[in-house]
Amino acid sequence: MITGHIFDIKEFSVNDGPGVRTTVFFKGCPLRCIWCHNPEGLEPGRGILLRQKGCLHCGRCQQKCDHPDCIGLGRCLHACPMGLVEEIGRVWDADTLAKRLLRDADLFESSGGGVTLSGGEPLLQHEFAAALLERLPVHKAIETSGFATGAVFEKILALVDYVMLDIKLIDKDAHRRYTGVDNAPILENFARLRQSGKPYLIRVPLIPGITDTEENLRKIATVVGDSPVELLPYNRMAGAKYPSVGKTFTDLITQEKNNEIDLSLFQNATLRRDAH
Amino acid sequence: MNDKLYSFILHKKHHAYRREVTEDFAAAYAAAGTPFAERMTARFEKLMAMQEPHILEGEQIVLLRTTGKPSDVLTEQEWAAYRAEHGYVHELGYTSNLCGDYARIIAMGLDALRAQTDDYGKREIDAILDLCDRYRSEAERVGRDDVAAVLTNVPRKGATTLREALQFFRILHFALWLEGCYHNTVGRFDQYMYPYFAGDLAAGRLTEAEAESLIEDFFLSFNKDSDLYPGVQQGDNGQSMVLGGCNAAGEDCFNALSAICLRASKKLLMIDPKINLRVSKKTPIEVYRLGSELTKAGLGFPQYSNDDVVIPALEAMGYAHEDACNYVVAACWEFIIPGCGYDIVNAGALNFPAVVNKTVATKLADAASFEAFMDEVDTAVKAEATAMTAMKSAAPFLPSPLMDMLIPERRYRNFGFHGTGIASAADALAAIKVHVFDKKNVTPARLLAGLDNDFATDPELLHLLRYEAPKMGCDDDEVDALAVRLLDDYADGLAGHKNAYGGIYRAGTGTAMYYLWHAAEVGATADGRRKGEPFGTNFSPNLFAKIDGPVSVIRSFTKPHTDRVCNGGPLTLEFASSMFNAPDSIDKLAELVRFFVQKGGHQMQLNAVNADKMKAAQADPEQYAQLVVRIWGWSAYFVELDKEYQDHVIARQEYTV
Repeated sequence: MITGHIFDIKEFSVNDGPGVRTTVFFKGCPLRCIWCHNPEGLEPGRGILLRQKGCLHCGRCQQKCDHPDCIGLGRCLHACPMGLVEEIGRVWDADTLAKRLLRDADLFESSGGGVTLSGGEPLLQHEFAAALLERLPVHKAIETSGFATGAVFEKILALVDYVMLDIKLIDKDAHRRYTGVDNAPILENFARLRQSGKPYLIRVPLIPGITDTEENLRKIATVVGDSPVELLPYNRMAGAKYPSVGKTFTDLITQEKNNEIDLSLFQNATLRRDAH
Repeated sequence: MNDKLYSFILHKKHHAYRREVTEDFAAAYAAAGTPFAERMTARFEKLMAMQEPHILEGEQIVLLRTTGKPSDVLTEQEWAAYRAEHGYVHELGYTSNLCGDYARIIAMGLDALRAQTDDYGKREIDAILDLCDRYRSEAERVGRDDVAAVLTNVPRKGATTLREALQFFRILHFALWLEGCYHNTVGRFDQYMYPYFAGDLAAGRLTEAEAESLIEDFFLSFNKDSDLYPGVQQGDNGQSMVLGGCNAAGEDCFNALSAICLRASKKLLMIDPKINLRVSKKTPIEVYRLGSELTKAGLGFPQYSNDDVVIPALEAMGYAHEDACNYVVAACWEFIIPGCGYDIVNAGALNFPAVVNKTVATKLADAASFEAFMDEVDTAVKAEATAMTAMKSAAPFLPSPLMDMLIPERRYRNFGFHGTGIASAADALAAIKVHVFDKKNVTPARLLAGLDNDFATDPELLHLLRYEAPKMGCDDDEVDALAVRLLDDYADGLAGHKNAYGGIYRAGTGTAMYYLWHAAEVGATADGRRKGEPFGTNFSPNLFAKIDGPVSVIRSFTKPHTDRVCNGGPLTLEFASSMFNAPDSIDKLAELVRFFVQKGGHQMQLNAVNADKMKAAQADPEQYAQLVVRIWGWSAYFVELDKEYQDHVIARQEYTV
């Protein structure tokens, strides 16, 4: 049975599509957006979360152990008295995960909700994503960067009912600089999405001084035309989890607050209220 | 709403009218050997006479307490003797936590009531009428003919309009508090006020908008004197109002006035009155939306109770159908009957984790199997519950001529108990099952040693119990079934026992302040809870349980047979207030609450919390004077709480979105 690496399951995820939904976070992402607020979802495969706050520095997690599940992680998962050492997510097989999610099919049905695949980047584990989606006879949505081959994108597109696609930067060089990848596949997949007739939402993360410039937003507006757009204000807590995964948050976001956003640049945009 | 009046009350400017009561009532009464009923009446007369009429600018509903806290009616020595004589004296000893039949008196008027009552009642009524007459004169003096007109009719005669009825209620409620009764609840306000509201609308005396403004003014009145009311913490005053619900014919009675009350509460953003919403499978989604709007306001209410569970449960406890259908909540969440219920619904609490700990200490080492150990746990919980029924009677409340008029017949005299730490206890048993019996990686001796020394020398054990065992709230039958069993045991242990009044003992799922008190009494527990850590409030998961979200929690907590432990005690869910930034969050929350009701949950309370804001409020209380949080069955201004309660609210599970 095909398996996938999932780093979180979150019920009642109110920002991930219509109705009451459960969101499944796929581990691993081909992008390295400097502002990413889920760094624990970036690397594919296994990994640990090592929270600092409350650490007694007792050293127990660094002692040798013979637990099979600790092999290769560099720390013991079963030793921290404060519960600060944790494996990031786990491996699921498609049947078991589908069953877990379909447990709430009644609530999805009555509320017009369903399941949302998110990440990380769910398309990175597209075979598992497809296998999971095929097992979910409920409303299905995906949150994606759109960074995948056309074939993968179309395969998954055919299996979902609703797409939330990020468009971050139109300038090629800037996109490469801030996300680590070329935006051509993303824009091509946007065109495929648009043609498909599937309902969708374009999301633009507003990163101060980087994506929220008038120039970039104007370009995005031109590309997306009358597509529905949701602009996501920058959350200053974005860097909070980096130390726990042994990463350092970027110092390239030098501007603290978002620029004033002119919604009228877009034909059909809303601004999400800040989380803080 | 009158903004000026609102601001006046909010900033407590009316406190300037208060004078201290210096008279030592108890000493004088004790010296004279005055009977208790006489004491209550005489003090009431004096206090009423001391009230100075003040009509605040723009207020439609008058009456303001102008005296501070009066001295007791019994001296300390008398209380000691009284307690020694009676064994169990409930809380402060004064009449509390009941719901009177306001409707009857508001309809008949005090003149008619006076004719039916005894001398004490007549004297109290006269004291009330005297104060109201003085208010009427004051109204005439300051040119408030509208107030004078209302007071010309009520409280002497029955109310004929909504405003008269509201004013009448205010007079009765004011008098109850002043007499010394406390946790004076409000009852099914939208039901007994509806005829006045509908009558005014039909006669063209009032528009809906005017009625709403009047209700807002009336709601303000609950906040005028509330700092003088007794409670464990400021805000714990029991001014619970119940809206909606079925009638005896099973019809849903949510009406236009119910909706006005929900909106008024949202607009006022004050902790009183505390709103409870009765719902059922018949409740339309729009009602849940209105309720969710109020949750979004961050007041910690409405609290929902499910008629489909509560009414049959009350009937099974022996309450007549009509009475069961008329249920309200006491100060927090305990189900009581207005006008005829004389239950003591918070007479004690069963400490589940303590019973489990004791059984672990005495029986685990010898248990041949987990099932054998659970048999011991069953026995111990039942025995503990049965031991609680040794409380056969309670000292009578100090006499209350007023409450006697509001509750003319004491039809129900049951005792209710809370149940603390159900999730902690179930989690502890699940951890024992998994590690001691299934995996056999922990010996009973190791577990006992760990519990004894608070895991000081065995942190790996703590890790196993705390992080590598099933937790209630994850929809995991392995642990949820244990909670079901513990609660069944609790009900079984109380079943069949009668108190001295012929009443029964009701098991419940609330905690009140026991989530701190009981936790302080129990050392480390086998769920991996360290000594000194609190339990969850009411019916909720362990604070450190890792949970996928509120749907799993609802599924776990709707498994127990709550109809058997229906004293009251809500599933408590905490949401980050930022969840409400999502544009359709109200619709989604409404669906979630409806889901809970459809799953057969008995009672639920939802809190919108912002941990950052609470921490900021701890650092800078003045800036956050109006920040409201839910504590156990009531809401409070955060900065007015003791730090241990503040810290618990911050630590509680947040299903952050």
